[in-house]
Amino acid sequence: MATTTASLTITSNDLVGDALSLASSTQLNKAGTTIGLDQTTGMARVYLTATTQLDIFPVLPATPAGQNLQSWVYICNKSLDETEFITVSIGATTIGLLYAGDFMWMPWSQIAAKADIEIAPSTGAAAAGIHVDYTCMHQGITYPTSGD
Amino acid sequence: MATINATIGISSDITGYGTTINNSMTMTKAGTIAGLDQATGLVRKTLTSTNEVDLLVVGAGVVADVTATKAAKLYIKNVNTDSSEFFTVGLGKSSGTATKQAFAVTADANRCVELGRLYSGDFLIIPWVAASDEHDVFVKPSVATTMVVEYQVFYE
Repeated sequence: MATTTASLTITSNDLVGDALSLASSTQLNKAGTTIGLDQTTGMARVYLTATTQLDIFPVLPATPAGQNLQSWVYICNKSLDETEFITVSIGATTIGLLYAGDFMWMPWSQIAAKADIEIAPSTGAAAAGIHVDYTCMHQGITYPTSGD
Repeated sequence: MATINATIGISSDITGYGTTINNSMTMTKAGTIAGLDQATGLVRKTLTSTNEVDLLVVGAGVVADVTATKAAKLYIKNVNTDSSEFFTVGLGKSSGTATKQAFAVTADANRCVELGRLYSGDFLIIPWVAASDEHDVFVKPSVATTMVVEYQVFYE
């Protein structure tokens, strides 16, 4: 059984009158259990030069293998230009914008077809070219059947 | 201008090669190097039904200033200890005429989609774009016994 630990700290000395310090840590387990996740897509790094919206994981079929199981997604915009961002969406719904250096970490239910995780570089980012890192740690993903 | 830093660490032995992710970011206003300077404070909410509950409503309450053109970061944590219980976290209008899990529909203020599930101790941190009702943030407890969620938004 694999053990995966995720931790997050958020700190600020000047946001509010008193110092802010928030720390969380958790083990990534299979849905509803204390058994660790045992699969991953591996960490990918892509270089994008168009504003085209892309699925970063295999397109979800009608009944995804990971449906109602547990998956975690990490995405990071590696740009150093503060004006360059990527838009992260799930299906047709925008989640948010990751600016230079920003990362996100979220569970992903793979709940239905079209619940794909998608990214799209901003116009400026695409023009300059942008690196994006991403990975998924999961309990199951449907990989496309070979077509040849 | 405030400086808010977030640091994530992920370590895993899923593969034989090991995986380690260490990364930090400073939360900035959209398209600038100026730091985010507002926050909701850490909210703790106890829920005792399996109804969907809006944590954040676009254009309302303490996050009324957050718009589609402004940056915001959202942190949510399930602070319960029962590994079988979870919060479903989603985006969209969770009441009224919402169409749950309507991933196939085009942009629609009534769309309501599931992102993922936070089991005991799990947390998320995501950017949040507050553009319309389809970006309200809701949670849905898996059980009607007491479940506690904590959340905070940092914004400009």
